[in-house]
Amino acid sequence: MASFESAVYQNEYLPDGGTDVNAIVTISCSQAGQAGQTGAGDAGEIIIVDTSGSMGQSNMEAAKAAAMVALDNILDQTYFAVIAGSHKAYLAYPVVQSGPGMVRMDADTRQAAKRAISYFRADGGTAMGTWLNLAKSLFDSVRISGNKHAILLTDGENHNERPSQLAAAIQNCTGAFQCDCRGVGVDWQVPEIRKIAQALLGTVDIIPNPADMPRVFAELMCRSMSRGVASADLRVWIPQGAQILFVRQVSPSVEDLTSRGAPVGPLTMSYPTGAWGDEERDYHVSVRLPARSLGQEQLAARVQLASGAQLLTQGLVKARWSADTNLTAQINPEVAHYTGQTELAQAIQEGLAAQAAGDVATATTKLGRAVQLAEQTQNFDATSKLRKVVDVQEAATGTVKLKKAVDKADVMALDTASTKTTRIRG
Amino acid sequence: MTPTLNCPECQAVVQDYEAFCQSCGARLSPTAAPPTQAAASADPPSSQTRRLVERASQATLCLRCGGRVDADGYCGQCGAKAPSERDHFEAAPADWVAGVCDRGQAHAVNEDAMALWADADRAVLVVCDGVSSSSDSARAALAAAEAALGTLGNAVSTPESDLDAAFAAAASHANLAVLEASGSQPDNPPASTIAIATVTADGVRFGGVGDSRVYWLGPQPRCLTADDSVAAELIGQGVPREVAEESPQAHAITRWLGQGTPGADPRVGRFQPDGPGWLLVCSDGLWNYASSAEELAELVASLGGDDPAALARQLVKWANQRGGHDNITAALARVRP
Repeated sequence: MASFESAVYQNEYLPDGGTDVNAIVTISCSQAGQAGQTGAGDAGEIIIVDTSGSMGQSNMEAAKAAAMVALDNILDQTYFAVIAGSHKAYLAYPVVQSGPGMVRMDADTRQAAKRAISYFRADGGTAMGTWLNLAKSLFDSVRISGNKHAILLTDGENHNERPSQLAAAIQNCTGAFQCDCRGVGVDWQVPEIRKIAQALLGTVDIIPNPADMPRVFAELMCRSMSRGVASADLRVWIPQGAQILFVRQVSPSVEDLTSRGAPVGPLTMSYPTGAWGDEERDYHVSVRLPARSLGQEQLAARVQLASGAQLLTQGLVKARWSADTNLTAQINPEVAHYTGQTELAQAIQEGLAAQAAGDVATATTKLGRAVQLAEQTQNFDATSKLRKVVDVQEAATGTVKLKKAVDKADVMALDTASTKTTRIRG
Repeated sequence: MTPTLNCPECQAVVQDYEAFCQSCGARLSPTAAPPTQAAASADPPSSQTRRLVERASQATLCLRCGGRVDADGYCGQCGAKAPSERDHFEAAPADWVAGVCDRGQAHAVNEDAMALWADADRAVLVVCDGVSSSSDSARAALAAAEAALGTLGNAVSTPESDLDAAFAAAASHANLAVLEASGSQPDNPPASTIAIATVTADGVRFGGVGDSRVYWLGPQPRCLTADDSVAAELIGQGVPREVAEESPQAHAITRWLGQGTPGADPRVGRFQPDGPGWLLVCSDGLWNYASSAEELAELVASLGGDDPAALARQLVKWANQRGGHDNITAALARVRP
């Protein structure tokens, strides 16, 4: 049985007239068990492989090997399917025309699915919206109540669809399943794929070297299978008259959840967090309260993780008004750390967007600020990735120069990793 | 016959069970178990004083907005921290006697305390105000109020007892209770004021130590007690009341219950009501906003009604609306001579 714990990091003291309360709520899960094995219902996995012409012989062969390794890591009894995607979506396995579009994993179905994958060849265009819509139809066809997860692999831009078509498909799939997205090579668009991953509560990353694909797919599938808690929601209660300024996941990566909330009562918003394994996630909750008089104490927010009607854990965010400036002036270190990390992600993304648009001045300023923030928040991974894109003259002041010649894969790696954060605690 | 013992510091007579000298507060080494504590804390015969433990279910509705208080101790509607049983409690031992003791707005802890007893025509009202430099003061004040109530409740309900002596004994027991409450901070012992009023067939008795007060709010309103405070000393020297009470050290009390007190014997007085009215025992958290008896009488008249519980609640609310800068206690007895 999975067990959850939460901890709240904040400075609860507000000055006279102060209204804004910021807190980091850490939620940890242990003994999560395995997907589909915890009584929460059957789990389902769909592997979506780009089979467009641009994949070419070598990427296609690596992708086929990776898809087969992914199959090896799907637990027996799990429902699964394999989609081959080009300008249309093809159900490669199971081979059915109607009825349930997914089958349970066992030695025979695994072997048959591998055979189906072995017939893939690179041909046609790219329309990822159709791939996603087919995946949703397949999950719907077997009415899975446990984990629903897909891996999407692509190598290029979404040529054969208008952006609005992809956006509609993303909207259609939001809340229906989670999707981890991977791009091989450097011809795909990070922002395009990031939109899919963010909406479908997954991750995005670059696989610069095709030979790494099988390892990456194995890791992704193992992680998905280790999520014994099929689905949980972050619920934020605020007092009457208060306002949620924002709700962000800030670790392991920055995801702004604010616009994803749905009301579950007059004072409570619910934000989907997907499936949970044994892990810790940090959330930054910012609430604006009506100011109370000095000496008053009140609750600013109840931050809960819930699975359906079941409350898994709760953290209390408080507010106390005090005239003691020694208390009210302090910024909580966790809040400061993650505020910096969020700004870091934004600076990297804006800097790279400016660079792509040829705006050297803005790119230099933003990436310089990113270098400074990475240094301050000790995000060494971001620092080393930034150094492949800019020459750092002085990290402390954020003085940088854009490199003349940059490996595009390094730029994309910096972009995809921009939202990854470091933790302030061990 | 045991020999008389004297305090090594001030030579006052002390008892063999005392841990502190009741005169100067010096630490003593008791050689016997305290026999009086059980008697002092025992409920008076028909006591209806509500003890804190019985108030467990009291604060289920938010005092700020009326919403339901969640299991985590905060209102499910407005988020206000529900007061603990110590932060806000009410007592109404009879339909003519009631009181409210409240933390107020500015202080984190309620160091005021209140203990009430009443039957059909007799009552004891005790209000204590813990001095807020010690973290033990909240506990000390409550122990003092309940000790004094125990002593006076017994006396009031026993015919022919000497009430003047009972007042002295009550203050002495209250002082002992404060001395014994100094557990967690030996270097910073608690202290408390006390104000007591009794209503019996032969009229009103009152007494106090410190600056908690007993008022008569009847045809001719008057403050019955005299403060042991710098302000009162200034007034005694001829400084006008309004000026004295605004002076920087006005609130410094010159006598108190607890260690190092210059004297914990109450100044006891008697009073015959001149008509129907309210007997009010309160802490400075209330009278700071209306010090003169005339002002308080007007306030009570404007609030109206003859239910002491409702009136006490309104007085506390009124003081909170003015800032609630200190803990607020208001205990009332409706007197019809």
